[in-house]
Amino acid sequence: MTDELLVVRAQLGERAALAELLAQWRVPVWTYVRRMLDADRADDVTQEIWLAVVRGLPRLREPGRFAPWLFTIARRSVTDRLRGEYAREQETLAADDVATEDPVEAMVDRAALMNVLSELPVLEREILVLFYLEDLSVEECAYICRTPAGTVKSRLSRARRLLREHLKEKGYRP
Amino acid sequence: MTEEPRLSAQDIIDRLAPVLSPRVRIRAVAALLAGVGGTVFVGTLWWSEPGPLPGRTHLAFALFTVFCLAWATYGGWLLTRRVPLFATDLVIAAWIGLAASLATTAVVTVVAVQRGTGAGLALAVGGVFVAVALALAVRAHARRAALLRRMHELTGREER
Repeated sequence: MTDELLVVRAQLGERAALAELLAQWRVPVWTYVRRMLDADRADDVTQEIWLAVVRGLPRLREPGRFAPWLFTIARRSVTDRLRGEYAREQETLAADDVATEDPVEAMVDRAALMNVLSELPVLEREILVLFYLEDLSVEECAYICRTPAGTVKSRLSRARRLLREHLKEKGYRP
Repeated sequence: MTEEPRLSAQDIIDRLAPVLSPRVRIRAVAALLAGVGGTVFVGTLWWSEPGPLPGRTHLAFALFTVFCLAWATYGGWLLTRRVPLFATDLVIAAWIGLAASLATTAVVTVVAVQRGTGAGLALAVGGVFVAVALALAVRAHARRAALLRRMHELTGREER
């Protein structure tokens, strides 16, 4: 069953559809939260996100765009926890941001990727999680992060470069 | 990394139970209706009191009105911020609101007529409430119908 059908049924008041929707998106939401926050806070923030989702679901006007809406809510909760880190992050785009190779695509060892991800700055970590781990498009990432698609692309490019550097430091050869 | 969420889907749903329980919805609707109905009723009594009133009576009416408004605000806050009202809930809530508006209008009009202050204002105020409730009921039905239509479209598409 598609997300849109589940959302429509949940909006009509069907509890089973809401439970199914939650079961389908529980791990993706938690994965995003866990990659952004420590393990102690991940479960509480995930619960907080689901509470906001349930409260906001009746007002969701485009059921077909559930995933970006869900991650917008998730991002808001995460941003509240990382307000300091987000504020410190500056958009300092380097000239060599156009990456020629993609270290994430080449990365087979998921555990190693998780290790390196946690060392990246918050904006770069976030965009890698949304784009690669959650399989969201550039447009959806832009909607969630409230930035133009061009900024998402440059942020992705910088994130790949940082990731490549971290991987080299750790001795991984893509 | 094999780390997984500690909360199962059922755990999360269990923790959402207070928000999804019918009791909270009923409490919210009851608080809003009692608050609005009470405010209109006390306001009518206050306005239709014959002759000049002593200061203490004015104070008592004002306090009653504030008390009813506080309940109405609490109910409204619960409904708009704390409790999700899904499409079917909205239809039910709208009809309850319409019934309560009609009942309040009837009571207020009877009180106004009995006190000889004329039914005009009571009917006008009640009419506004009934019109608003009716508009909300129509909107709730339209929203539910649109969702049902979309559900049938999507179900048909999946079956094909």
